[in-house]
Formats: sequence, structure tokens, C-alpha cells
Amino acid sequence: MGADMSFDLGLILSYLPRILEGLGVTLMLWVIGSALGLAVGFAVAVGRRYGPAPLGWLLRGIVEVIRGTPFLVQVFLLYYGGPFIGLRLENIPAGILALAIYAAAYYSELWRAGFDAIPKGHLEAADCVGFTEWQTLRRIILPEMTVLVLPSMVNMTILILKETAILSIISLPELTLSVSAIGTQHYAFVESFTVLALLYWALVEICGALGRRAEARLSKYRFAT
Amino acid sequence: MSWKLFWLLVEAARLTVLLSAGAIAIGFLIACLVCAGMLSHNRVARGAGRLFVSFFRGTPLLVQLLLIYYLLPSIGLDVPSEVAAITGMALCTAAYQAEIMRGGLGAVPSGLLEAAEMTGMSAAQTFRRIRLPIAFKLTLPALVSEAIMMLKSSSLVSVVGVIELTRMAQDLAASTYRPLELYAAAGLIYLVINIVVALLGTGLEARLRWGRI
Amino acid sequence: MFLKSILAAALAASVGTAALAEDVLDKVKAAGVLTVGTETAFAPFDFIDAGEHVGLNVDLFDEIGKELGVKIEWVTLPWDGVLPGLESGKFDMVAGPATITQARMERYRFSSPVAEATVALLKQAGDDSVTEPDQISGMAVGSGKATAQLAQLQEYAATLPSPPSEIKEYVSFNEAYADLAAGRIVAVANSYPNIAYVAQQRPETFALVEPPFGVKTYFGFPGRKDPEYKTLMDAIDAAILKMKADGRLGEMQKKWFGVTFDTPDQVTEAAF
Repeated sequence: MGADMSFDLGLILSYLPRILEGLGVTLMLWVIGSALGLAVGFAVAVGRRYGPAPLGWLLRGIVEVIRGTPFLVQVFLLYYGGPFIGLRLENIPAGILALAIYAAAYYSELWRAGFDAIPKGHLEAADCVGFTEWQTLRRIILPEMTVLVLPSMVNMTILILKETAILSIISLPELTLSVSAIGTQHYAFVESFTVLALLYWALVEICGALGRRAEARLSKYRFAT
Repeated sequence: MSWKLFWLLVEAARLTVLLSAGAIAIGFLIACLVCAGMLSHNRVARGAGRLFVSFFRGTPLLVQLLLIYYLLPSIGLDVPSEVAAITGMALCTAAYQAEIMRGGLGAVPSGLLEAAEMTGMSAAQTFRRIRLPIAFKLTLPALVSEAIMMLKSSSLVSVVGVIELTRMAQDLAASTYRPLELYAAAGLIYLVINIVVALLGTGLEARLRWGRI
Repeated sequence: MFLKSILAAALAASVGTAALAEDVLDKVKAAGVLTVGTETAFAPFDFIDAGEHVGLNVDLFDEIGKELGVKIEWVTLPWDGVLPGLESGKFDMVAGPATITQARMERYRFSSPVAEATVALLKQAGDDSVTEPDQISGMAVGSGKATAQLAQLQEYAATLPSPPSEIKEYVSFNEAYADLAAGRIVAVANSYPNIAYVAQQRPETFALVEPPFGVKTYFGFPGRKDPEYKTLMDAIDAAILKMKADGRLGEMQKKWFGVTFDTPDQVTEAAF
């Protein structure tokens, strides 16, 4: 190899502020995107379960379309196609919106599975002891369901984190874009991609560990199956 | 959008399907090894299997592809675009498939295995005739979703120079200046492919009525 | 003393490997294929027209291939991946082309220039708010990621009394043009031949801001500086200069840019 490809860690360290900035954008996208996705996904699951049949079909259709197409294509469609129908979003709102819609489709399926998994007996029992519907939802359905779907929710949230890297393609200055830019600027490609992989890996492992802790704390709501 | 443009997208979709199918098949073989490693009694094999799964599930495919394409040559391994794309996708899906397999094998009811043992089957026979087929049946839906995930992930391989469906749509959007139609058409093609894969999965599941537990 | 002997040993080792490395031109001729890396979002040099890779580069490399007696094989990557690809040996050289800059000349060997690369601005057709380059003060503008055009835009922006509100970096110029059309930015900085072509292709959408704001620069094809690449790059230069002399290069410029450029045979001192 004629070109110098040795590992230059000092270079990466000298760009620490810029890397942290990118990390901040990634975290922001991830947290807001997943939170919105969780909430909208829950609403979609409720709509499909309790809403009128046509609403259920419509929501199901939308969920299937989103789950059946690549996130990248959705992002392109929203960002570059949007202006043609009067939807002109800047890259950060467009990124968050795309992420939230994508996450909502997947989360809604998990919420739905959670609803389905609660034994009818529990609801009838709640009814017998005189719980109102709201009480049943808050005291029985939500806690029992949360503990059931938590592991898959954590997995999904990790997937969402990795999808944020795709937003680099619409020039959103998140982690992948900022770190690879340093690589291009200084011809330090090996360093930048390695650092990038390690940072995402660390984030994912932290998220997984937090998930397992939450699971342990919520285990009292787990019922025997 | 003209039929000619749509046809170009369909042509590019062939590469998408080929790449994904190749990656899923190669990934399946790697996943078998990784899963065997994770379930092995050997601590080194177990650690290696877990590390593999953790890394390839813990980093974005986009970053993995860039690493494979630009990092491997620096240690003397030159990989052309298509090979880098298939390798990246195969390693990534192998990690997910290995986890699915591990879950499936663990979910086979122990009563069935004990019963097999009682009838005098050897450990190998029990594995081959009872545990493996039942695990396959149990994991089929998850494997089909993983295949669909991979078809969608193939949209990223243009970063290593492969012109598949998404990249073709991108190029055509730039030259015709009709991003809305082209991306929508690309999305539609992905959707159709994925619906076909899902239907094939359901069909296969229906045919595997044996081993219902 | 000790250090000196280590240095001497290292030097001997590096000379040794260089001598061992196979001459790239021989390798290319033996294989009958010259592999060229480029990106296809740089009309009119390299772009996709109805699914076909076309442009000045395609025509030019067809001729270069004839001169060398080899076939051309294209590898197309996003621009920020093209130079890394060259360094990691994915292809023998780069088409692009790339603006010949001082910084790049330190790292790469450039072919003889094939066109002018001076940077100008592209705006929306009918946008009266930008008629001179310096009117981008306080506005959002864009250019391609990891390009010399971006570097010149940044340098120019720093000279303005009030800088642009934002300088966006795009994966390719096509995305920058799309964002200009969508109104997210008011101008795209790119080399004159490129944006003149875009404005001419889509006069209802885009217009050129005269005059160019950048210093006079040229486009060339980057290759590696390593000794084993020298004969290849020499052969490329010879082919380009031959085409320049017999008028083929001028015809191609006329075909793709509508004008011909007066380019030097070799850039030794880049203005940027």
C-alpha cells in the first residue's frame, strides 16, 4: 500500500468536540424519534383494536406499506418528494418525522401483540372487583403489557438508533456524517469508520443493558403463562 | 412516469433480489456456525459467537459496509463492490439469524426431547429428527421477517458502488427531476417483492403442518 | 546512530517494496482493462441519462481506452467514497474529474487538465434576490460534500462582511440541485461547466449567477503518486494531450459544455 493507512488515534481525539456534537444530534434524533414513535404506535394499536373497522383497515394498510419499504426510500420520498406536494421540511424535522413514522409502524405491531397477550381472565377479574375501564387500563393492561413487550421494544429501539445513520444521506449532521467528514478531510478513512462502529456499538450495548435492568425492575408485573 | 423508467427500476430490482437472496443464503450458513458456537460448551467458541452477534447487531449496516469496503484493502484483502455488498449484508443477517436460531432451539419443549430419548433415539438423532425440524418450524415466521428486513437493507449498498433499486431511483430522479414518482415507484416495487416473500413464508408454514406443538 | 540505522533500514525496506510492486500500466495492459472510479452525479462529466451512464468522461475514457488498447471498467461511488476508493486500491485511477488544488496535488498525481473548474453559483430561475455572488450573505447555500467547490465556497463566504446563514453539504450535487429547486437553499456552488450545463438543461428551474466567484482552476483526473503508477499516469497524460492536439478533446468539450476551454498542458501551481 503506497497510501498511508496507519491508525491515527490522535487525529480522531483532536476532533472530539465535533464527534460529540454529531453524537448529540444522533441521540436527539433517536430519543425524539422513538418517543414519538412509541406514542403514535400506541395510538395506532388502540385505533386498530377499538376503532371502527374501516379505520382498522386503513391503519393496517399504512403499517404494512411502511414495514414493507426501506427507510431510505421513505426518507427520500419525504425529503425530496415532499416539496412537490407542498411539504417542504428542513432536514432535522424531516429526519425526525421519517424516523417517528417508521418507528410508529413497528411499535404499533408490538403494542398490538401486547394487547393480545393479556389473558381475558385478568380483565374479567378487574371488572368483577369493580375497576373502571380507565383503572383496568392503567393498573392491569399497561403494566402487564409493558413487561411483556419490553424486550422487543428494546430491540426495536436499538434498530431505530441504527436507522438514524441513514439520515446522513440527507445531509443531516449526525454521528455518521460528522465522523466520516473528518475521515474525508484528513484521508483518515480507516480511523473514522472504526471509531464510528465502536461508538454505535457502545450505544447499543448501553441501551441493551438499560433494557435488561428495566425488565428486572418490572418483573413483578409478569404473570405466569 | 414512463414505462421505460419503470422498466429500468424493475431491472435494478433484479439485482436487489439477487443480492438479498445471496446474502440471506450465505448468512444462513454463517449463522449456523455462529449459533453452534454460542451453544457450544467451549468457552472460546461461545465468546466468539456472542461477540460476533453483538458487533453485527450493534452497528449500523451502513457503517459495516463502509468498513468492509475501505478497511479490508488496508490489510491486503481487495473486495469488489458486489462482493463487499453481499459480504456486509450476509454478516449482518447472520448475526440476526443466529439469534433467531438460538431462540428457536431453546424453545423446543423439553418433554419432546425427553420422549425422543425414551424411545431410544441417540442424541444426534434427537437433534436431527426432533429438535431441528421443530425449531425450524418455530422460527420460520422470524426468518421470513428477517429476509424482508434484508431486502430493505439492500437499499444501502450503493455506498459501496452497487447500483440496485434505490440507487437507480435516485439516479433517475436526478436526471428526470421527478423524485416523487420515482421514489414512490421504487417503494411500490419493494412492497410487491416483500409481499411475495411474506406469502411464500405463509405458504411454507401452512405446508409444514407436521411438528405442530 | 541507532536511529539512523533504523531509518536506513526502513528506507531500504520501502525502496525494496516499491521496486517489487508491479508496474500498474503493465498490469492494466495485461488484463486488458483499466478500472476507473467515479461518481455519476456530476453532469455533464458523469451522469445517468435514462438509466445510461453518459457524459464527457465516458467519451473521453473511451478514447483513452483506444489509445492504450484496453477496455474501461467503471466503478461508481458517492463522491466522498471515490478518493478513499483510489487510496485503498479499488480502481486504477479516478475520473470525477476533480478540481486540481494545492492540497490535492500534495496527495495525488493529476492528469493533464480536461476543462476549466472555476466555481460559480446556480440559483432558482427568476430569483431576483441573488444577482451577484456576494448576495448570498445571510442565506442558506449548499455544495457537494468533500469537494473543492465546497472548500472554495467556504473560503469565499469567510471574505463576505456577513457570511451565509448556513452552508449545507450534500452527498452529491444532484441532491444540492434538488434542494435548490425545493427552495431550502438559495444557491449551489459548483464549477462553471457543471452549472452552466444544468441551467441550460432546465432553464425553467435554474439560472446561472454571473460572474464566477472563484479563482481560475482546472479539472483533471486524479491518480496515485506511488512510483508503480507513474507509467500509467504518463500514458494518460500523453493520450489527453494527443486528443487536445488533434481536436478530439475540443469536440467533446463543444458537445458537452457548448464551449471549448483553453486549458494548460499541465498544472504545476494551483491557484487554490
